[in-house]
Amino acid sequence: MKATVAWSARPPQDWALPPPYGWRSVGVVLLAALLLWITGQRLEMGRMVVLTSEAVQSALGFRDSSQVGNGLSRLAQSMLPLQISERTEVARIEGFDRAHLPWFSHLEVVEQRRQKLDPQTLQMVEQVERQEVLVEPLGYLAHVLVKMLETLEIALWGTLIAVLLSLPLAVLGAHNYSPHKVAYAGTRMLVSLLRAVPELISALFLVLAYGFGPIAGVLALGLHGAGFLGKFYAEDIENAAPRPQQALLAIGAGRLAVLRHAVLPEVLPKYTAYTLYLLDRNVRMATVVGLVGAGGIGQELKGRYDMYQYAHVATILLAIFATVYLLDIVAARLRRRMDRA
Amino acid sequence: MLAFEAVTKRYADGLLALDGVSLRVPRGQFCVLLGTSGAGKSTLLRTVNGLVDATSGSVTVDGLHVTPRNLARVRPRVAMIHQQFDLVTRASVEANVLAGALPVLPLWRALADLYPPALRRKACVLLDAVGLGEQHLRRPAGELSGGQQQRVGIARAFMLDPPLVLADEPVASLDPRTSRDIMDLLHTQSRERGTTVLCSLHQVDLARAYADRIVALRDGAVVFDGTPEEFDEDRVQATYRRGAPDDAPSPVPMQPMRRVA
Repeated sequence: MKATVAWSARPPQDWALPPPYGWRSVGVVLLAALLLWITGQRLEMGRMVVLTSEAVQSALGFRDSSQVGNGLSRLAQSMLPLQISERTEVARIEGFDRAHLPWFSHLEVVEQRRQKLDPQTLQMVEQVERQEVLVEPLGYLAHVLVKMLETLEIALWGTLIAVLLSLPLAVLGAHNYSPHKVAYAGTRMLVSLLRAVPELISALFLVLAYGFGPIAGVLALGLHGAGFLGKFYAEDIENAAPRPQQALLAIGAGRLAVLRHAVLPEVLPKYTAYTLYLLDRNVRMATVVGLVGAGGIGQELKGRYDMYQYAHVATILLAIFATVYLLDIVAARLRRRMDRA
Repeated sequence: MLAFEAVTKRYADGLLALDGVSLRVPRGQFCVLLGTSGAGKSTLLRTVNGLVDATSGSVTVDGLHVTPRNLARVRPRVAMIHQQFDLVTRASVEANVLAGALPVLPLWRALADLYPPALRRKACVLLDAVGLGEQHLRRPAGELSGGQQQRVGIARAFMLDPPLVLADEPVASLDPRTSRDIMDLLHTQSRERGTTVLCSLHQVDLARAYADRIVALRDGAVVFDGTPEEFDEDRVQATYRRGAPDDAPSPVPMQPMRRVA
């Protein structure tokens, strides 16, 4: 006791100052370095650095060629020019009506010369094949935009389903409103499960169940979103100010009525923010779930990629980029407006 | 109207908040509870609407025993006004007043936020009576000043014309002038309706000005029960004297008390 008094009574210039870094920080840094070294070895991070620097060197003219650079330039060559138009052989169009062509389209006749072996003379003969082709100058772009729209619709419905599913999950999963401990624990588990399964994985299985197309995409987004919203909605219910709720309970209002009138108004702005974030995320995820056949632009992308039609792929990627960028701008404006309100 | 019979409350941590309180409040009386923080005022109020369960003894409202089974019938007859107003700050003033009628509203109406027009009209009349106007109707309650919020709280309390109103230090977070206005309002509104009021206060002068009867609590027991005139300086000293073993214990907890390790 005496020592403590003497110690605390020292003048400030004599006070012992704690060192900025202790043995513990040094140990943590060493441990982290060791961990990164081991994992870096396993993932060939060294090779990544070498390949990238080779590509940069060749781009700057210090090297003739590099593996990554060659790959990228081959890709760029096959991607450009972008595929905008659509050409279809007339012979392949069912019920083609020459009098009513689609808008902005025209017909072209393409002559193809082919060398063929004449079986009777056993000599090569040149044959001319004439094909009539329907050319739609903006045809493929229009097709991509329609698919993009479908993607946006998938995102919208996925979000709607997520909200509808998560509201009851939030009430059952908030410990102050859950009717029973078992219901609470069960709901929490279900919500964690929904959140733990990535959209792409669930879409993979939903495609098997519902078939190719947007239904699987909508459900995949809805289920994962319900897990996300269910957790955050529930936590907001639990954290809502307790006194206004108690004030309404004290005059005999039912629990659901209290939830509606004392909790909902408090949490609504946060709910709106979460939901907008989910919508934003779902637009991006909706393009990805298409890759496994769950409808929208992703499905188109996967199909063209598998057929090595990289010019088509480039158009699709550009459309996705433009949509996400536009969405970012719209979302930012919405958020600013909400903050002001 | 309201009767306490030997009401005792001991909290889980051993704190004895009420120690055999017996009290009868006749219909229409404006009864003020005085006492230091921790004397048991809030706990006594809360035994009436079941926010606190008495450890022993009984509380009767209009002939109804306050028991967990009876709560659904007792609570709509007992309104409450709170120190921190306890309004839903993001909801509109109108929604807050209307919430006072939630106990009698069918669930579907409550969930759809569809109050019958008669109730909405009544809310307007009450808001007018407490001195708020049409311009306040749609504003979020949290944007109002403290005094205005307590006016909303009073309007909410009278929504169902309750025979009994509990007021738990209704002016403790307001300045002296506003406090007087609010007490004035509570007094006139309850007089007009013949409402019984049980109100805890910290200000002796306000108690003397508005009470029909003053009940002083100390360490959970009634140490004075009489008219404001009888509550003289000696009584004040006796009620608020510092002393005894511990300093004023903490007021009634809102949340469960600190967990014992």
